[in-house]
Amino acid sequence: MFIITCPFCGERDQSEFSAGGEAHIVRPKQPTELSDDEWADFLFMRKNIKGVQFERWNHAHGCRKWFNVIRDTSNDKIHAVYKMGEKPPSD
Amino acid sequence: MLNINYPKIEKKDYPNLELNLVEPIHKLNLRGKSRDFFTKAGRILSIMLPPEPNTSATIKSISALWLSPDEWMVYGKDIEKNLMLSLDSEISKLNLGSVTDVSDQWVLINMRGKNVFEVLSKGSSFDFNQFKNNKNVVVQTLLNHVDVILHHNDINNVDLFVRKSFSEHLWLWINDSSSFL
Amino acid sequence: MSENFRSSETKFLDKTNRISFKYNGKKYYGYKGDTLASALLSNGVHLIGRSFKYHRPRGIMTCGSEEPNAIVQIGGSGSFTEPNVRATEQEIYEGLEASSQNCWPSVEFDVGGINNFISPVIPAGFYYKTFMWPKKLWYSLYEPAIRMSAGLGKSPTQPDPELYDHNHLHCDVLVVGGGISGILAASISADNGNNTVLIDDKNSLGGSTIFQDDENFKIDDEIPSVWLNNQIKNIKNKKNLIIKHRTSLAAYHSYNYLLARENLADHKSLDERSNKLRQRLWKIRAKKVILATGAIERPLIFNNNDRPGVMLANSVKKYIDYFGVRCGNKNVIFTNNDSAYETAISLNKKGINVTIVDIRNNSSSILVKNAKNAGIKIYWNHTVVDTKGYRRIKSIQIMKMSDDGTNVIGSKINLVCDNLSISGGWTPMVHLFTQSGGKLKFRDSDQVFLPNTAMSDQISIGSCNGDFELDDVIKNTNSECKNFLSASVTDYDSLTISCPKQKESKNIWLLPNDKPLGKTKPFLDFQNDSTAKDIKLAMREGFKSIEHVKRYTTTGMGTDQGKLANMHALGIISETAGVKMGSLGTTTFRPPYTPLTFGTIVGRNVGTFFDIIRKTPIHEWHENHKAKFENVGQWKRAWYYPKNNESMHQAVQRESKAARESAGILDASTLGKIDIKGTDASEFLNRVYTNAWSKLAIGKCRYGLMLNEDGMVYDDGVTTRLEENHYVMTTTTGGAANVLSKLEDYLQTEWPELDVWLTSVTDHYATASICGPNSKNILKKLFPKLEFNDENFPHMSFKNAELNGINCRIMRISFTGEHSYEINIESKYGKSLWENCIEAGKEFNITPYGTETMHLLRAEKGFIIVGQDTDGTMTPIDLQMEWIISKKKYDFIGKRSLYRSDTMREDRKHLVGLLTDNPREILEEGAQIVQDEKKQPIEMLGHVTSSYFSPNLNKSIALAVVKNGKKLKGQKLLVPMKDKTINVTVSDFVFFDSKNERLNA
Repeated sequence: MFIITCPFCGERDQSEFSAGGEAHIVRPKQPTELSDDEWADFLFMRKNIKGVQFERWNHAHGCRKWFNVIRDTSNDKIHAVYKMGEKPPSD
Repeated sequence: MLNINYPKIEKKDYPNLELNLVEPIHKLNLRGKSRDFFTKAGRILSIMLPPEPNTSATIKSISALWLSPDEWMVYGKDIEKNLMLSLDSEISKLNLGSVTDVSDQWVLINMRGKNVFEVLSKGSSFDFNQFKNNKNVVVQTLLNHVDVILHHNDINNVDLFVRKSFSEHLWLWINDSSSFL
Repeated sequence: MSENFRSSETKFLDKTNRISFKYNGKKYYGYKGDTLASALLSNGVHLIGRSFKYHRPRGIMTCGSEEPNAIVQIGGSGSFTEPNVRATEQEIYEGLEASSQNCWPSVEFDVGGINNFISPVIPAGFYYKTFMWPKKLWYSLYEPAIRMSAGLGKSPTQPDPELYDHNHLHCDVLVVGGGISGILAASISADNGNNTVLIDDKNSLGGSTIFQDDENFKIDDEIPSVWLNNQIKNIKNKKNLIIKHRTSLAAYHSYNYLLARENLADHKSLDERSNKLRQRLWKIRAKKVILATGAIERPLIFNNNDRPGVMLANSVKKYIDYFGVRCGNKNVIFTNNDSAYETAISLNKKGINVTIVDIRNNSSSILVKNAKNAGIKIYWNHTVVDTKGYRRIKSIQIMKMSDDGTNVIGSKINLVCDNLSISGGWTPMVHLFTQSGGKLKFRDSDQVFLPNTAMSDQISIGSCNGDFELDDVIKNTNSECKNFLSASVTDYDSLTISCPKQKESKNIWLLPNDKPLGKTKPFLDFQNDSTAKDIKLAMREGFKSIEHVKRYTTTGMGTDQGKLANMHALGIISETAGVKMGSLGTTTFRPPYTPLTFGTIVGRNVGTFFDIIRKTPIHEWHENHKAKFENVGQWKRAWYYPKNNESMHQAVQRESKAARESAGILDASTLGKIDIKGTDASEFLNRVYTNAWSKLAIGKCRYGLMLNEDGMVYDDGVTTRLEENHYVMTTTTGGAANVLSKLEDYLQTEWPELDVWLTSVTDHYATASICGPNSKNILKKLFPKLEFNDENFPHMSFKNAELNGINCRIMRISFTGEHSYEINIESKYGKSLWENCIEAGKEFNITPYGTETMHLLRAEKGFIIVGQDTDGTMTPIDLQMEWIISKKKYDFIGKRSLYRSDTMREDRKHLVGLLTDNPREILEEGAQIVQDEKKQPIEMLGHVTSSYFSPNLNKSIALAVVKNGKKLKGQKLLVPMKDKTINVTVSDFVFFDSKNERLNA
């Protein structure tokens, strides 16, 4: 059980959040123009990294806002949290 | 005639803890982010919607609770039909944001006394250490796995909002936990 | 009267409070503050139980949570009984009843003791090897026999009547362990303004220093026990410090999340306990953690080292110095280090006979000098090769060791004794450190694993960090805490400390013997009876990983988790394999550190609080009218309303008929309701539903189907346009929260440009759904001002109305195929609305129906239930719902996936109807459907998703998903069941009123 710092509400227990998988996968604006393979790439392909990963989390039992988290999946260490639409911190 | 029925929640006393159902009470959900939205809401309610996370603003008996960067709950005994109508017509109808009556969506339970946070800590992972020393703070969290909004409006005095369908169950749990202080 | 072994006064017990208790049916006495172990020892009782495998007599070995042998059953029979309780931790109380475990008929004479004599034929892996064949004997013979003799204590046969609770705790600094280093850490932390919690598993603080009265140890010119006692008095008054006694840490997770069990009642008599909490589980979140968990003394591994009366030397010291109990009249201390000499000196001072056997050649320690001066006989360079005495040690045999320590030489010396105190050095308790993800390092000089790198903000101090000398403990604790807590000055900066230093050391994991290993029993894991030769056997048989050796030999797998002897197992493995211990590593330490009862783990989440219960505003009415309830998610929904002993089937048949013949009423309050406002509301609905919304007129309703991006059906429901920019969406009962969260996700992440606001109003409204040919008549009575003709209020439209001055929203929509209305009202009026409907419907025999009838009625119409007829692999095309997919819309969630090669496959499973050839036969939901029973392997074409006996059609009907089902209409298929095969024919899935004439009837 880790602690996540919601960019709005601050530090909360993990139990208040739900995970939303890999971050920065943008839904294509024109899906109908895509080939099966291109669409499948958007739909199914995820990196599932052992190590530092960019993820989406939702403060489901708090402010209900979605945001991004940079987490090391090998030890659950959270390196950064940033809002939707923001760029990941560079360091 | 239509009768009014609330979940089976009545006044209870425990050592340094008093529990009460506070109904009927009007509750409104306000959503919006434009400057016009803030101005209109502020003018009609005579309260600035608090922009600071986890805080509340109270004037007379009306309180506005921060729920998210674009969402507030406004509640109080003095909210009259006219107020709700003018919010609706000047915000919703003008597409500045949304105003939704949620009076029956939530049940308000008041908890007061020195043991308030002792009981809340049994079912919530939230750290109340700072919270309990501050007035006009708000937290949305889980209490015994149920979503709640807690408004600390005065020291050791908490307005707890719970969705109506969960309220009877949570009420039983609060009573159970209060009996093992 | 038996001999009293309480030989000295002690300030730690309340001598005015004499307590009686029963052990194995016999009455004994002790004092308030005694553990069961110290009280039994004071009565001369050493024999406590029988070992797990060989049923060898075993006695008390330690004085703490590491105890492998002295585990007992507490309480009599029935519900108030608990197995596997460590006698060394259980405090006595008036009326305590305890008994031995794993022995029959008694601990004195145990039939299972025969295993001891046949032990040469039951080596490690015996069970794995022996009971493999013949296979069929496993169920009939082997398993029942093993089960009967396996296990230690007896499980309670009734529910646990005790109360347990959970609580969260947040602190700046958590200190684990109330020994000297923990006390200093807590004091420094609190003085620095940190909100500090100190937890300790004993009933009082002080660890082993609190009974350290040896004159060779001094802190600021005071003996340690006196100095520490003052410190304890001191910290009790500190404002920022909470001290929790009898609280043991069970688990240390990442992010400094820890679980601790506080024992509130186990030391109290049964009368004092009633209706009070027994234990509380603390869920602790600490910003910083200081581990001061101490060290455990190591045993020595030699032949027959397990007899009652063989104890750890420091425990013997605690029994005499703390509890005032001598563990024997003729003591031998067998050691490889100086610390055991403290025990010898303590015993000697109290006039108790003691002899020392030391495997070292000599030691220059002041302690040794003092022992010599006191006239204690010391056998240098000797080892114990055997012990005698079945139920209690009677004598030992010692021999001189060769210079390299691998062999014994000379002749045996026999020493008569009734206690053998052993000491093999110290093992730092790094369990919690490693649980938290910390990595260890190995220190060669004294062969210990120590904390190295930690994953969270924490430090280890004192002996759990490898400091064993008093001055190191205090000085390092002080400096490390200062550093960790950024403290500039502490009360302990200028202490003067004097203490003897550990001198010559010698470590031999397995001591030499005159007999070959195969003829000896040098126990490593006392509880699981694994010996050094089991370890060597496992290695000979090819097990190399310590994790494998552990499982094969069961070393370290008892209730004590091998706290005593895991190090020796590792030592023997590394020696045998020729690998360095540091590179061998340890087995994984997993929570809990000491066993937890299930009661503590579940807390108050029992009975009523097992799961969350949601109720509709009309719930009470259903209850009063004898409804049976069904769990739908967390909701309690009325399932059916049996009348006069009706069976479920009878009730459902009656309700279903009534709903179609006259009028039925359903509580639909559980459906999710989302209020949607904003100028882009229509565009938003276009994107989330498969059909088009822009042209829906104000005041009209439309059914919508929501997909996932993969094209599979996710949810469905009716959405109503209340105003130009205002809709209210309904979702399925189970999907409400997920749908809202999914919609918010798209609005926040993919389409932030849309002006749309969502608010859940599920609980704000109560919903009564009235259906049937008389529904219109009932509505007319309730709302006399409203016009209900098909022009003014057609199917799929909405009206605002008032009922006794209260606003209602009425939707004319139907989930049953009947002419029907849904009335939504603020939920505080829900029950009253319902009662009004029932009253108004009386003359039409309005019949309340539950979810089962609802399911039946919609199945007659072939309406799907998302989650019952779909399972996340069904597209709308599979469901034969092409009509709901807009061809014009450029995009909506899941659209692109409907044109993937896989979703366009013709032989996907499709929703179809099934009719049984025998119309009375009802299919089982979930039953498999096949075409050819003889084909091997049999091909499963699909399964039944919904099945009912339709009273309105007077025949059995079913919905099913069948491979290529669209093309199979009219074809015969088979549904093989356990005892028969049912013949079915594929049909259309709309069974009733396929022209929808009743909607406007």
